Parts: sequence; C-alpha cells; structure tokens
Amino acid sequence: MISIEHLLIYVIFLLYLASMVFYWAARQTPAWMRYASWLAMFGLLCNFLALAYHVAYSHRLPLTNGYEFMMSFVFITVLSHLLYEKRSRHAAAGAAVMLINVLLMVSIMVLMPQQIGQAGPLMPALKSPWLISHVLTAIAAYSAFALVSGLALVKLQANNPADDHDIYRITSLGFVMLTLSIVLGAIWAEQVWGSYWTWDPKETWALITWIIYAIYLHLHRQRGWRGNKARILLIAGFVLVLFTFFGVNYLLPGLHSYA
Amino acid sequence: MRFYNYISSMNAGLILLGLIGIASAIGSSLWPEMFFKTVYFRLLLLLFFVNMALCTFNSIKKLVAGKKRILHNKRQMLRSICLIMLHSGIVLIIVGASLNSWWGHSVQLSILQGDTVEINRIIPVNTPFQVKLLDFSIPFNEDGSPAQYYSTLQVASSGQNELQQTISVNHPLTFAGVKFYQNSYGYLLNAGAEDGETSKDLLVQDGDWISFESTRRTVKVFKYIPHFDPSLGMQTKSLEPKNPRVIYTVYEGEHMLGVGTAPFKERIKIDEQTYITFAQVRPYSILTVKTDPGMPLTAAGGILLMLGISIVLLMPRKKPNRSQSDKEDIAS
Ligand code: HEM
Repeated sequence: MISIEHLLIYVIFLLYLASMVFYWAARQTPAWMRYASWLAMFGLLCNFLALAYHVAYSHRLPLTNGYEFMMSFVFITVLSHLLYEKRSRHAAAGAAVMLINVLLMVSIMVLMPQQIGQAGPLMPALKSPWLISHVLTAIAAYSAFALVSGLALVKLQANNPADDHDIYRITSLGFVMLTLSIVLGAIWAEQVWGSYWTWDPKETWALITWIIYAIYLHLHRQRGWRGNKARILLIAGFVLVLFTFFGVNYLLPGLHSYA
Repeated sequence: MRFYNYISSMNAGLILLGLIGIASAIGSSLWPEMFFKTVYFRLLLLLFFVNMALCTFNSIKKLVAGKKRILHNKRQMLRSICLIMLHSGIVLIIVGASLNSWWGHSVQLSILQGDTVEINRIIPVNTPFQVKLLDFSIPFNEDGSPAQYYSTLQVASSGQNELQQTISVNHPLTFAGVKFYQNSYGYLLNAGAEDGETSKDLLVQDGDWISFESTRRTVKVFKYIPHFDPSLGMQTKSLEPKNPRVIYTVYEGEHMLGVGTAPFKERIKIDEQTYITFAQVRPYSILTVKTDPGMPLTAAGGILLMLGISIVLLMPRKKPNRSQSDKEDIAS
C-alpha cells in the first residue's frame, strides 16, 4: 500500500528534479531562475510535511535511522541553498546542488524503501542526547559540504574572489560542524561502549573526510590554493562524505551499520 | 635548526596529515582488524604528534613574546589564543589516547544477580573494592524488543557500603577511577536432574552437555527460547520471556534419539530412572569495566578543540584582501 509518506517522497523527488531542470535551463534563459527557485521551495515544503508527518507518529526527532537522516539532510541542504541564493544575489549553484538532492532522494527510494513509514522503538544504545547532537551537527556539516561542492563544481572555471570567499566561509562552517560531530560522536560512543574511538570504518572515513577539509583550510592561506586545485579538493571532500555515509553503510561492515 | 624548522612546519604537518589519511583509507580496507595497531601507523601518528606539539609550542612562544604588540588588537589576540587552544587540543587528545593504550584496561564482566566481584581480580586498581549486582532487569517494548537493560550495582570497599546505583545503556557508573558500562546480557538455566537414587541442581547454558550415572544417555541443552512460537521453529519471536522453552536433544553415545522443547517445571524423562526439569531462567548482566588514565587529558583536549575551532572559524571576518596571506604562524 502507498502511504502518505511514500506519496510525499515521490512528489518531493519530482519537484526537486523539475527544479534542477529549470536551473539548468536558466543558464540560457535567466528568466527561468524564478521557476526553479519556486519549484525548490515547493519541494522544501513537501519535504517539511513529510518530516513533520513522520515525527507526528514516531514521537521523536527524525535522526535515528538512514531514512530519517537522509530526509533531514536533504531538507537542510535545500534550505541552505535557497537561503544562500537569496543572500548572494548571483546565480548560485542551483543545478548542481539540486542534482545532488535528486540523487539523494533516489538513494532513499532505492536503498532504504523498507524504512519509509516505519518507526519501531529505539534500541537502548540510540537513546542519548549525545547521539542527537552528534547527528544534528553531522547533518549541518554534510549540508554545508553539499552546498560547497555544488558551488565548487559550477565555479570551477570562473575565478572570482567573492565566490572564493563564500566557498571558504561555508566550508569553515561545515568544518566546525564536522569537528563537533566527530567529538560528540566520540563522547556518545564512550558513554555506550566505553571507548571513544575504535577505528571502525565509519569513524575512520569520517576522520579522512575531516583531514581533507583541514588540509583545504590550511592551504587556503596560500595564494596558489584558491582556484581550481582547491575546488577539486572540495569536490573530493564531498565524495568522501558520501562514501562515509553510503559506502561504509552498504559496502563495509561495522558498528554503525544499524544507524 | 633547519631540520627543526621543517619538522615543526605547517607544510610538514599537512603532508603527515595527508599520509595519515591515505594510510587509514588503505589500512582500514585491507586490514581493518590490525592496521591501526601496527608500528608503521603508530610511527606516523608519533611524527604527526611531534610536528603538531612543536608547532603549537612555537606559536605559544611567539604569542608570549609578541604580547605587547598584539595586545591592542583584541580580535587578533582572541584568534591567536583560540588557534592555540584548538591545536593543543588535538595534541592533548593524542597524549590522552596514548596513555590509555599503554596503561588503560577494559574487560567484559558477566555477573549473575546476587553475585559479588572483587574488582582487583579483573582489572588493576589502586584501592580494592567489590561490586555486587543487586538486581538485573530488562523492560520490553510492545514489539518484544528490549527497551533498556538495568543493573543495580552496590559498591563496597573494606566491608563498608560506598554507593548503590542503577546503570543502563548510555548511563555508566564511575567509582574510584573505574567505569562500569551496561554492555549486554546472557542467560543461564537452573535445572534439576534426578539420576537414579540421587538428584542434583545444575546451572547450565546453551550448548552445555548433561551426563548421568544411571544411564549412558546424555542431554545437550541446545537453546533457550524466550518467546517460543511453533511456526518460527528455533527462532524466538522476541526477547521477552512470554513463552519460554528450552530446546534440548537426547543422545545415546553418538546417536541422537530425539529433540524436545520443554517448558519450565516440566519433568522430562530421559531414561527409566533419569529425569531432567528445567526450573527457571537466570539472566545475567554483562558489564564493561574500564580504567582510562588518559581520560582527563582527552576530555580537556576535546573541549579545547571544540571551543577553539568554533571561535576561530565562526568569528566574523572581513572580505578577502588579496595582499595579506602566505603567513605561516598560528600566532599571527
Ligand atoms: C587535524 C589537524 C588540524 C586541524 C583540525 C587544524 C585546524 C586549523 C584551523 C581550523 C585553522 C584556522 C584556519 C583558518 O583560519 O582558515 C588552523 C590554522 C593553522 N594551523 Fe592548523 N589544524 C591542524 C593541523 C595543523 C598542523 C599539523 C599544523 C602545523 C604543524 C598546523 C598549523 C596551523 C597554522 C600555522 C595555522 C595558522 C594559519 C593562520 O594564521 O591563519 N595545523 N588550523
């Protein structure tokens, strides 16, 4: 049976897809920008409804399994994109960012259909305020990095200091959030299992991601590292973010595989 | 001097960071169990530690030496201090983690309700003390999955009760530098055996064999099933003891005579003069018992790192000015 939640997910997917197409078309016909933004906003509204509906029957924040995480992640990414678009006034990276969101929606439908519309009780290990703060900061970090990789992709050719400044600031925000997320996750693991770091694959890949962005931030001070080289580093960073989430959950075994 | 300059430089640090990243990626894919314990990886971490410690030390020196100059620029001052906080935070985390790997201990402890354990016997501690498990309970969710595991512990040292506290997953207890975590649980079974003229009480678990004087037959306790449902066979429907059964097999030498599922308190005939009765289940609690002498340093490092990085990177900043840059100095 198709539930309201399933239906909403298809609608969100289609709206984001349409928005992406319009953003793409707006490269030739700038007047279409407006429609692209509106479509993204409608998608965001449905995304919010889906989350609110899920929260209403699960009675907890949507942060505890892969599906809930992804829905929140996509929501925050589109929201940040729209806010950034409004503030920056120059054609942000709509097409690229919406492409990422479309792919994330596809991954929800393909990889975790059995979790849609489900809300079983939490296992004891997941009942922790540390876990909530760990996941919230992870979502903030991932969204910032998604936005930045979209910008980096679109602005690969144009070498404009203002863009570069924006990219650097958003990456900094993402890096702060990733650092908090890793430390909070370590505190949570210590409370549950009695060890804050075990080099399990998820931890290891999160650390590798963190290292990439740390290198970017340090090199950013050097003149040679503001153009394409830096942007490729940022795109690689986001590929690592995705691998830490999907690759580790679906390809490698580990402690985190239930979350 | 040139060597010192290089080994404490940011470039060397970034190269080492990159190497740690690449090594971790390869190591965790090829040898996930042992790579991070190898000498090669530890050597890399050691080099990184030395680099980072020297780099941080240099910048503290610079900050102190140049104090008067920067003092009137409060923002610069704050930024420098926070940069030092965040980098020294990482140094402290590495020191704390090393202390833990050298002198820390962590063991699993299985303990039945009512039992007392001398902590000295399982983990080295400064002041000996005993822990007694007063109560162990598992409340269940509606769907039969465990909602939480609760162990009520009583701590005593030299005959004196020190404290009593209920721990659960995510809520450990600390006493005299030793931390107790609710880790998991297991089951033992109380059974009575009537063996010819004699009878005896047994404490058994899944996989145990029971043998007798009065017969050559033996019984294997195959599996305890808390919520038996015939349609699921050997799978339990949930972990809640709603319909507990014990699956057992009876053997005559190598030859299996049969399989049975016994409810508690049912007298099972094994042979003419031999009976078994499974009386009840005795859940036991599995705790992790841990000491970590590096913890204060690691924790302090974590706090410094989080605070420092938030302030440094979220502090409002002017739009870029192309001419300033390429400075290599945390305290700049
Ligand atoms: C994983 C490890 C590291 C992290 C998370 C980290 C983090 C940071 C951050 C966030 C900044 C501020 C960057 C900015 O404002 O754009 C910074 C600056 C700096 N870091 Fe690191 N760092 C790390 C490792 C190192 C190492 C190994 C060194 C040198 C040995 C180093 C030397 C410096 C220096 C010299 C600066 C100052 C640059 C300036 O004045 O702006 N860092 N670091």
